[in-house]
Amino acid sequence: MGWLKQIKMFCRKPHNLILAVLFLVLVILTLLPLISIVMDTFTVHTSEVMRIRGTHAGDFTTYHWSKVLLDGDNSLNIFYKPLLNTIGISLATCLIAIGFGGLMAWLVTRTNIRYKPFLSAVFVLPYVMPSWTLALAWLNFFRNPLVGGVPGLFTVLTGLPVPNWFAYGFFPISVVQGLHYAPFAYILIGGILKNMDANLEEAALLLKASRRQILMRITLPMVKPAVLSTFLLAFSSSMSAFAVPAFLGSPVRYQVLTTQLYRTLQGLNPGYGYLMALLLILIGVGIMLLNQWVLSGRKSYTTITGKSSQIALVHLRRLRTPLSVGFSALLLCVAVVPLITFAVESFIVEPGNYAWSNFSTIFWVGEGAVDVANGEPGILRNAHIFSGLANSFLLSLVVAFLTGTIGILAGYAIVRKKDHWLAHAVNQLTFFPYLIPSMALGAIYLSMSVVPHGPIPALYGTFAILILIGVIKYLPFASKAGINSMLQLGGEIEEAALIMGIPWWKRMLRIIVPIQKTSFLSGYLLPYISCMRELSLFILLISPATNVLTTMLFQYNEKGWNQYANAINLLIVGVVLLSNYAMNKLTGASIDKGIG
Amino acid sequence: MPEIILRQVTKKFQKSIAVENLDLTIDNRGFITLLGPSGCGKTTTLRMIAGLESPTTGEISIGGRVVFSSEQGIDLPPDQRDVGFLFQNYALWPHMTVYQNITFGLENMKWDKKRMKARADELMAMLRIADYGERYPAELSGGQQQRVAIARTLATGPKTLFMDEPLSNLDAKLRMEMRTELKRLHRETDSTFVYVTHDQLEAMTLSTKICLLREGKLQQYAPPLEVYNHPVNVFAADFIGSPNINLLTAVAGAGSAQAVPLVLNNGQTLSFQMTGGELPSEEQMLHIGIRPENVVLAGTGGLPAQIVATLPSGMETVVRLDMGGVPLTAVVFGTIDFAVGETVPVGFKTAGHILFAAENGRYVAGGAVAV
Ligand SMILES: Nc1ncnc2c1ncn2[C@@H]1O[C@H](COP(=O)(O)OP(=O)(O)OP(=O)(O)O)[C@@H](O)[C@H]1O
Ligand SMILES: [Mg+2]
Repeated sequence: MGWLKQIKMFCRKPHNLILAVLFLVLVILTLLPLISIVMDTFTVHTSEVMRIRGTHAGDFTTYHWSKVLLDGDNSLNIFYKPLLNTIGISLATCLIAIGFGGLMAWLVTRTNIRYKPFLSAVFVLPYVMPSWTLALAWLNFFRNPLVGGVPGLFTVLTGLPVPNWFAYGFFPISVVQGLHYAPFAYILIGGILKNMDANLEEAALLLKASRRQILMRITLPMVKPAVLSTFLLAFSSSMSAFAVPAFLGSPVRYQVLTTQLYRTLQGLNPGYGYLMALLLILIGVGIMLLNQWVLSGRKSYTTITGKSSQIALVHLRRLRTPLSVGFSALLLCVAVVPLITFAVESFIVEPGNYAWSNFSTIFWVGEGAVDVANGEPGILRNAHIFSGLANSFLLSLVVAFLTGTIGILAGYAIVRKKDHWLAHAVNQLTFFPYLIPSMALGAIYLSMSVVPHGPIPALYGTFAILILIGVIKYLPFASKAGINSMLQLGGEIEEAALIMGIPWWKRMLRIIVPIQKTSFLSGYLLPYISCMRELSLFILLISPATNVLTTMLFQYNEKGWNQYANAINLLIVGVVLLSNYAMNKLTGASIDKGIG
Repeated sequence: MPEIILRQVTKKFQKSIAVENLDLTIDNRGFITLLGPSGCGKTTTLRMIAGLESPTTGEISIGGRVVFSSEQGIDLPPDQRDVGFLFQNYALWPHMTVYQNITFGLENMKWDKKRMKARADELMAMLRIADYGERYPAELSGGQQQRVAIARTLATGPKTLFMDEPLSNLDAKLRMEMRTELKRLHRETDSTFVYVTHDQLEAMTLSTKICLLREGKLQQYAPPLEVYNHPVNVFAADFIGSPNINLLTAVAGAGSAQAVPLVLNNGQTLSFQMTGGELPSEEQMLHIGIRPENVVLAGTGGLPAQIVATLPSGMETVVRLDMGGVPLTAVVFGTIDFAVGETVPVGFKTAGHILFAAENGRYVAGGAVAV
């Protein structure tokens, strides 16, 4: 009796209801799959029966664990080498990202370099574009015939051969990812440099400290937390990146954990794959814990962001013009030239031959000839591509709509009940998918969806599972946006309506949403853009019917149909850049806001 | 009739107790102020009555209907309590015009357009914001915003109106005007007002009863003048009145109700003639509460005191004195300018003084101090 009444009273408040529902759903969708994947590492899978002798599908086994971790040379090849490669690449990526991004941040905030707004806007472009953009461009330029195929633009133009180490593997992967994540460093470090109270430095100057002393004793310690954050962010991102190593590593069989995960899951040994996914998750969680620990210890630093007075800019003197022009050219190379190469590559018939006579529009508007790519029609007349494009749009729109809406509701409920354990729990649960590398999340859902679980049917190959996984992956961003905008609002605005008897849905639709519409909008747009360019999350789960543009790009590239891959890539980049532009216009938010 | 009764209401937050065992009866049509220093639980109390916050334990009834009871598991939502709430920060809806702000509640009650407009016009005229109907809140001054908030709250005609420090953001002149306005509103709308403030002057001038809180506990609940003249403890005496009441520490000697000898810190002895309360025991440590206006300067046969400072404000003058090491404040009507260091004789009016026990601050006796 008392029980029932309490539950009834609890449910009468909408935010309680939202929290309870979200809690249950998120536990089912994020925590239970984890258990499922742990079980999968101990299970004999159908395709493994032949290999693990004397077992039946579904039996308990420690085979995967011992083979992956404890089996000498075998483990070395399956796991330890890819692990070392991953770590090496991630470290190199961080170094490049921090070095390049930090230098740029310093140049833009602390020197009198020219064209600051331009530099700032172009610098963050590689991050807005899909991560493989630069990788494909690299291939277009530096492909070499050593691994088969035709030489790239560089060799064609200069006649110089490109060595393998430069074209494929560790070096290009690190450089490409470093450039891709450099905007992290630029934004985080630039933010601190920009907001850091110049008085702190001026005070030291008055004490007759030298510039060098100031840099070493004051400026660097202040930006250290930002550098650490960048490091952890770039490290975990590049650790879970799939597209770049897949494009630049596979030609020379250079494996990292994610590509290895993909290979094993697609191949005959899913048990290995699940185990690697689990290890990836553990590393991801570890890094996040480290990040939180670092941030909590340094809080006092990062909050010193008083009103900055006019900072005395470093005069570059004679170097000013050369540096300004040089950096502008460099950034154009990184951000714009790739797009040109995609266009060029998509128009040439015989790869590697850049003679004008070799240009043709057949890969765009051709009807498909038997001698070209198995009679595949050009992408503007290709039913496959259209279905992929339609799927991409549909998927992104549905995911964005669901994620954004759930994010608003979650933010609302979490802020309204902020000190309650349930709000904390839901907050943690919505954040949790952030810790799981996309590929591993895909693996989890793969493991869940091939067979029915209780009331949940086997969703593998359906569109629903792509939606589900997209919503889960982007929920952290959307709920963060929801929480932030609710925190800005203050409870009284809603209570003023509550006390008049305005029902809940009307309070949301007529008061809360209209007031915070721009900041809620980013909770819709961010998932939309991310979904549009997502590859590793979906690659394990798509089927021919649910193919999206990104996965098609990957497949065409695997088949070696370069022209199609480049054309599709151009399509994706176009859609993403347009969406990003629309987002800036609509919400007034831009990634490099306030730094340039 | 909406008589509001709180029984043993307690509100705990994680660590702290915001309100503790509060018993309070708010009469119908009263104008009650909740008064107390910052953090004493005023807002929390108000929000609990309005239903915006659930008490931890206790019972609240409005107009004979139980709206909250921890024992019976009742917790009516705010809209079923027939109350209006004026928020400290106004909480106007920034995306609606003044007119829309005022009529949103009526729209929700499905009033027809004409009636709604009539009601809004009536309110806007009453609050003198008729010209601003089409403006957005951000285009109004603080005082205008506040009047819009009042109009919005009154629109649906709640029987009880809660106001949380509504005047705290206004300048002194506007505040005076709004006080008058609120008093007029109270008369005209015939409803019960519960008003939160930490400004004792506002409480004194507006309310029919003051509810004085301290650290979540009720100190005194009485009409303003009674709190002023008969404070139940040192806190109440000290909180109400400006300048603050003089509190002189003294030790009681042996005597009768007619003449209790009180020995001050500086060795001087005063005599206290009781008119109420109980006789202090011998050697009891006391505080003598003397309102500044009850200190008489320039009397004859008074104790000598030196002038420390004179603070004339036009209508009256506050004089700070040093009476042989004991600081003392006096208020004199009109403008008087004493020279600093000058010695004047100090006497006391023959009624309105209070003795408090030093150990717990409680009221001991009332009466007159004589030199
Ligand atoms: N949501 C909350 N969580 C935790 N503690 C709270 C919360 N709201 C109020 N408190 C605490 O309860 C006590 C009373 O708060 P309340 O807001 O009622 O004070 P107040 O009398 O209105 O003060 P002020 O005059 O400053 O507005 C304070 O100590 C406050 O810190
Ligand atoms: Mg308050």
